[in-house]
Amino acid sequence: MLSAVPRRIFHTFFRKPPAQRVTAKVPPYIRDQLDSNTDNEQPLPHDFRTVYPEFLPDPRPEWRNRLRERLERNDMLTRRSVVAIPEFYIGSIMAVTVGDRNASDKTNRFVGICISRGGTGLRAWFNLRNVIDHQGLEIMYEMYSPLIRNIEVLRLEKRLDEELLYLRDALPEYSTFPLDMEPELLPEGAPVPINDIKVKLKPRPWHERWERKNLQGVQDLGLPQRFYNKAKLHEKPWEKYDLMMEYRATIPEEEQADIFHEIAPHYQQLESSRRQSKRRLAQTSRY
Amino acid sequence: MERWGASMKEIERAISPPHEQKKSKPKEGLTGAKERWTEAMNVVPAILRAARCEGSRLHTSSSLRHIQKQTRLRVVDNSELGKSAMLEGRPPRCIHVYNKKGIGRTGDKVLVAIKGQKKQAILTGCHQDQFPLMPKFDSNNIVLVDENGSPLGTRIHVPIPTFLRKKLTEMSRPKGVDYTKILAIATRFV
Amino acid sequence: MNQAEIRKLIPALRVAMTPKKRRFSNPRGPEGRLFKMRTTVNELIKNERMEVNYNRADEARGYAERLISEAIRYGDCHRPTMELADFWLPEKQNVHKLFKVLVPRFKDSEISYTRVHKAPHVYPSTLFDKVVLELRGNPFPPLEKLTTKRNWIHNILLEEAHREYLEKKYKQEGEEEEEVQ
Repeated sequence: MLSAVPRRIFHTFFRKPPAQRVTAKVPPYIRDQLDSNTDNEQPLPHDFRTVYPEFLPDPRPEWRNRLRERLERNDMLTRRSVVAIPEFYIGSIMAVTVGDRNASDKTNRFVGICISRGGTGLRAWFNLRNVIDHQGLEIMYEMYSPLIRNIEVLRLEKRLDEELLYLRDALPEYSTFPLDMEPELLPEGAPVPINDIKVKLKPRPWHERWERKNLQGVQDLGLPQRFYNKAKLHEKPWEKYDLMMEYRATIPEEEQADIFHEIAPHYQQLESSRRQSKRRLAQTSRY
Repeated sequence: MERWGASMKEIERAISPPHEQKKSKPKEGLTGAKERWTEAMNVVPAILRAARCEGSRLHTSSSLRHIQKQTRLRVVDNSELGKSAMLEGRPPRCIHVYNKKGIGRTGDKVLVAIKGQKKQAILTGCHQDQFPLMPKFDSNNIVLVDENGSPLGTRIHVPIPTFLRKKLTEMSRPKGVDYTKILAIATRFV
Repeated sequence: MNQAEIRKLIPALRVAMTPKKRRFSNPRGPEGRLFKMRTTVNELIKNERMEVNYNRADEARGYAERLISEAIRYGDCHRPTMELADFWLPEKQNVHKLFKVLVPRFKDSEISYTRVHKAPHVYPSTLFDKVVLELRGNPFPPLEKLTTKRNWIHNILLEEAHREYLEKKYKQEGEEEEEVQ
């Protein structure tokens, strides 16, 4: 599916594979001992990796480059000081304003539900989906693109699933959000609510075999038993015990602490700009 | 190289539910759920091998969603021809794409066969994954046009990408044909 | 997608790992590969020292280290950790050993919990590198060469020279004290 995207200069969307296969072993991670006074070290905030997941690098060794990651983090912090990128999760409803040369007033605003997100560093992206005039459409946004003027979270919430791609096969009412939606604000420090809605899917054919995906956020699929039988054959129940597979997909705790230590001087600013943009959103919604 | 007959057997064995398959003796020390695991591992590789066999029709890769010859498209303007074709359940089929590649993208002109006629149309929305900031639609949408570039309908009720403003003006320049009239009948830009 | 998994915080592995997992082709497929690793880890926990092929040892080492670090972090009252130990150690006395013996042994350790020593090839083949995989702190005699530099010639000479110097010095000081008196 990704190969169908035009391979032009969109290096942000399509990366060339690494030139050489990495065959050397990955040595154990040793914490940086840059600053001698570790007493002043701020502890790793418990929500650092959920609010700023793109600061953590891609765990695959062939894509690792410590210098590039460090430079990218600097650029990300610079960009965040210009445009406040809020905390959001899959299932949050967001509004993005971009600069668009072809639009009548040079800006273009789109409201939608975040159905997927990914990417690391400056390449972090997310997809918004909405149904406008009975036409479902999705737009991918790169979080650190200089074209983006503003990102607002109109409704901050999580869903039962990690990806909401099944909304493409669901009834349109589950993906419809008004374009002039007012922001719904949560009180300061409140935990992010989890929306446990169960979505109804349209009849088959679907984009993917949803019965094989263990979706929590859909109603009973209503398929004949043979589908569930075949789904069982494709299950891999041993993968939850595969400790090394789990480890290879994560960044170890010590490295996360070091990354946080690197951006700790700017963390206060990041948090305050997030809070400020929330307050600004509250004010604009009131008037 | 496997024969056609052998591959069909393999496919049937792979697809038939477990209780209809010959019961294989479970490995020592395995009980209950683990039997199912061992059965599972014997089935999935068989399916993949069967797919690779000569003559098999099992498709294991995801669809590319290209707009090329024979692709069925959805008319989104309110022209009589388009509306009646969509209502009948006989959507127009692409028979030619007016670009060098043969694979249509947003804003490309295509030739469609609709209700026994050949008509030109402009692609206003693709279902294929797009690069960032370009909207991706749930259906491949077209707007019917005539040879002069003027649309057959009077309104497009579905949103169209702002990219078309640039693309259609660029298309119109060399041809001396004005495709930008479509933008005038659009109701919403995305 | 290509973001790191953030649902769980995992401490760093203390041994080097290959960038991709080793396949270990198996009639039971990926499931069989994990069962093979399980046999090795179980054996390691049970006997604390075993001789295996290098590739198998290297792969199982990662799993053993991870299992022990999970046991140290979460303890035996944590249900997912118990299920993990239940899968990885089919002999139940090893589960008890893991939580009651190995966790206290390794909980304050800063280094890896396992060690690998190269072992001689089994004649006539040199294709399969053999290694000895062991847990640190095992009760068997050590396999490392204990290198001491005490008996090297220049160290002996230096020690003797130092001793002579000290003798001379004390003698001198003794003579000076006598003179003063």
